[in-house]
Amino acid sequence: MLLSIENLTVRYGEDTALSIKTPIEIRKGDRIGVIGSNGAGKSTLIKSILGIVPYQGTIRTALEPEQMAVHMQFNEYTDSMPVKYVMEAILNTKIARNQKLQELIDFFEFRDCLRKKYSKLSGGQKQRFTIILVMMQEAALTFYDEVTSGLDFETRQKLVEKLVEWYQGREASFLMVSHYYEELDQLADKLLILDRGQVIDYGGREDLFRKYCGRAVVVVSNDEKNEVLLSDFEKLSAPAHLIAISCDSEKMEKRITRLLLEHDVNYKRSNNDVEMLYINAKAAAERQSDTGEEKETKTGGN
Amino acid sequence: MHYNGKLFSKQMLLFEFRKTIGNPYVHIFGVGMPVLMMIIITRVVMMEIPVPSVLSSMVTTIFLGIGTMIPMASIFMGYGVSHAQELEKGIPQRMELFGIKVSVTLCNRILSELIFMAMAFVIYFVVGYVFVGVEAPGWSGAVLYAVCILMLSVILFCLSHGIASLLKKFGAVYCVTMLLYFGQMILGGMMGISYDNMPSAMQAAARLLPVTYINRDFYTVWKGEHYNFMPMVQAYLLMGAVAGILLFVTVRKERRKLH
Repeated sequence: MLLSIENLTVRYGEDTALSIKTPIEIRKGDRIGVIGSNGAGKSTLIKSILGIVPYQGTIRTALEPEQMAVHMQFNEYTDSMPVKYVMEAILNTKIARNQKLQELIDFFEFRDCLRKKYSKLSGGQKQRFTIILVMMQEAALTFYDEVTSGLDFETRQKLVEKLVEWYQGREASFLMVSHYYEELDQLADKLLILDRGQVIDYGGREDLFRKYCGRAVVVVSNDEKNEVLLSDFEKLSAPAHLIAISCDSEKMEKRITRLLLEHDVNYKRSNNDVEMLYINAKAAAERQSDTGEEKETKTGGN
Repeated sequence: MHYNGKLFSKQMLLFEFRKTIGNPYVHIFGVGMPVLMMIIITRVVMMEIPVPSVLSSMVTTIFLGIGTMIPMASIFMGYGVSHAQELEKGIPQRMELFGIKVSVTLCNRILSELIFMAMAFVIYFVVGYVFVGVEAPGWSGAVLYAVCILMLSVILFCLSHGIASLLKKFGAVYCVTMLLYFGQMILGGMMGISYDNMPSAMQAAARLLPVTYINRDFYTVWKGEHYNFMPMVQAYLLMGAVAGILLFVTVRKERRKLH
């Protein structure tokens, strides 16, 4: 085990930004995706693990601070010199003499940027610069906090592809915060779902998918025709423009897909879609919370 | 893990030095201003005191006193405001998250500041000898002047880092360091009022500052004559203690609270 969190509470003034009651463990080789809307406590979680915000509770790890690397949401560097020198100072090396660093620079196509000052780099180049530095740390545990935020679609895709390629066959663990579900589809094998500072669930992606969505999900566009066509099936929570049907068995899945084919309806089938998983986990938590409140009201009334 | 317990590194030192020389403030106020002030003030004195025997000692006294402006402007103010700008952007924390300890940053920074200051002093002394006719020191005088300036610079660095870490905002740091800079210059007798002409309350405050002794008395030391160092040492110890405590408190306050 690399790190464990127990009874963690982070407060900003009167507000509780994060409260983790059920223990969370990060093991060697874990690729954890952290999802949740703004204010869910994602960045706060990273900051508390790194010890840059005060917290109550227990975070246990045998890792030294240097063995934890982080790509923060916003990374700034001095602008008084080309980034080449910043890189050499942080890594205490000369680029010309460091084979591994040169490989990383080429891997992330950063060589042409070395002579530029940090403020002159584009958003994607800035992200790649920090990623190179973070990866050179060879940390046992790396945190990525919204690495691709603010990047255009193409740059984001490229960066994620590079990360996927880089981590293939490596043992390093990471915890990645992202609002882009397709990134976590590609990178995460575990998910930590947060909402308003509370943990909704934590576990393997496939296990969580089965728990909240069933064996597989079939998604069609939300229109009147499809609404009528699928009226006999129990629907999952889904974005307003979609209808999602949970398939608990292969037989049921075949029934639904046959029906859709017969009516020439386009559909998408998935057994690990992070977006569907997140929406339904959140909906389940809300239902549970409503039930709890109702019970409390009844008990109070009696 | 790239530093592996080493406090100094060539790459980090070069990085800090590039940052130091990349700050235009230190060139203008840390080099240009002291050189200009030294030339102007000594010229005025030359015109007012035509007696060559007294003139030479007066000029040397002014020269040595104004020399303290170099660490005060380049390190105390220059470094302070530059560090505050970095703090506003979260750069020091970013560096620490790469595993670079505060001690590594501080050691390389102070060394780079001292290297820059030494270069500034070379220019200052060359101009002083060529244009003003500063008297040559006794060997002990030269060594003691270097030691005193060095100690003052280290204290000012600690003070400056502490103030910047405490206030964090560029504007506030600029204002406080500027006030303290002029305060030291006024009390040190470099702004027209000599120590002897100050009111007693001002004299009491001036006695707490090392610059007062460098500006007022260092000609005696420069010439290798006998001098009672005790009041100067006490001023150094007091300022050093204040700077040390401030640095310690702010570094501790900013330290990551790790498990």
